[in-house]
Amino acid sequence: MITSIQTDRLVVISDLHLGNPFSNAKKKVIPFLKWAAAEKFDLCINGDGLEIAQASFAKIAFEVPEFFRVLGEFKRAGREVYYITGNHDIALEHFLEDWGVMKVAPFLNVQSGATRVRIEHGHIYDPFFVKYPVLYEHLTQFAGLLLKVNPGLYKLWISFEKWSSYRRAKKSGIVGERPHFREAAEELSRRGFDSIVFGHTHHAGHKQLDNGSYYFNTGSWMLTPFYAKIENGSVSLEEWKEPARLRRSP
Amino acid sequence: MSMKLETRFQHEYLEEFEDGECIFEEGDTGRDLFIIQLGSVQIRKKTTSKEIEMTIFNKGDFFGDMALLQSLPRYAAAYAVGKTRLLILKPAGFLLKIRRDPTFAFEMLQQLSYRVKLSNDRLLELINRHQIPVDEVQKLLKTIGGGHTNDEGKPQ
Repeated sequence: MITSIQTDRLVVISDLHLGNPFSNAKKKVIPFLKWAAAEKFDLCINGDGLEIAQASFAKIAFEVPEFFRVLGEFKRAGREVYYITGNHDIALEHFLEDWGVMKVAPFLNVQSGATRVRIEHGHIYDPFFVKYPVLYEHLTQFAGLLLKVNPGLYKLWISFEKWSSYRRAKKSGIVGERPHFREAAEELSRRGFDSIVFGHTHHAGHKQLDNGSYYFNTGSWMLTPFYAKIENGSVSLEEWKEPARLRRSP
Repeated sequence: MSMKLETRFQHEYLEEFEDGECIFEEGDTGRDLFIIQLGSVQIRKKTTSKEIEMTIFNKGDFFGDMALLQSLPRYAAAYAVGKTRLLILKPAGFLLKIRRDPTFAFEMLQQLSYRVKLSNDRLLELINRHQIPVDEVQKLLKTIGGGHTNDEGKPQ
């Protein structure tokens, strides 16, 4: 199993939830992937790229053929695609690996120039997921049913998380997140990581940690299309805006 | 001269070493585990004729695991290469570290598995080069594979 890589150019995205009827990520991510392959970036999908916890395999099968075709462009450009498993797609782990398009890993340690970056989905630092895994799974499925009734509930929940954590997060972490994620990033940074990139929480942002390392979260493409760009040792969080030349192409 | 930097938890602290400074000597009885935050560490082992460099560990690598996990004296010596900062885990802090940072256990197992394979490959290479008899080889491999054998190399 590969968990350590070296690269000079890598983009990281997370939480597309393709296959979930409420995910509108596909129409944004396809042009992004074409751009990244053309710019000769490696790609890392940092968990929950596909949705099996709240959707059926049939939905995924309907949703992903174009997505996988575009992933093939990275191979043709001589670049790699890495897929880190999250909590909504872990059941697909072997299936994805056997497909042969991508390298599947539980996390990635990236060496880029002199910089060490840890990329991990982050669900194992979610206190609710760790303490009550069965309840978490049932509630995830139940949430899937609620979203069928009204997809808008999801955005309402995200707004509630931001509002409820605003005062605390201004000091200690990314707005919307519980402090456990920043603490996990801090712990990882003590093992010599200069930057830590998580997904899972759907709250994009970045924060400098007390020891000078950086914590990034790439959020969710169901909300705003953020990606982490790792280029010759420099790490940044960017919002994807489709270049005009790509928009014009058929 | 090494310098203790900070103590975040009771069983874990940072320490800085200058280039060439000894972190521990072969045969020392310490039980701490070391994770490299900055710099590199050279591992040296005494042989009958001279001291040899076994490996160099870099940022993010860990060492000192044999003493921690098996309560053995230090198998080899460790020296700082360049200015080196280490996160030092005391035995009592090891499980707490895994609790806070579970992927550390995964990475540790992965590195230990890699080191076992490397040792086996080196051994097989030596066996092939010196054409050691098959019986002797099997006895050796059983021992390396973790099987408990008696003095005659037979499983107990």
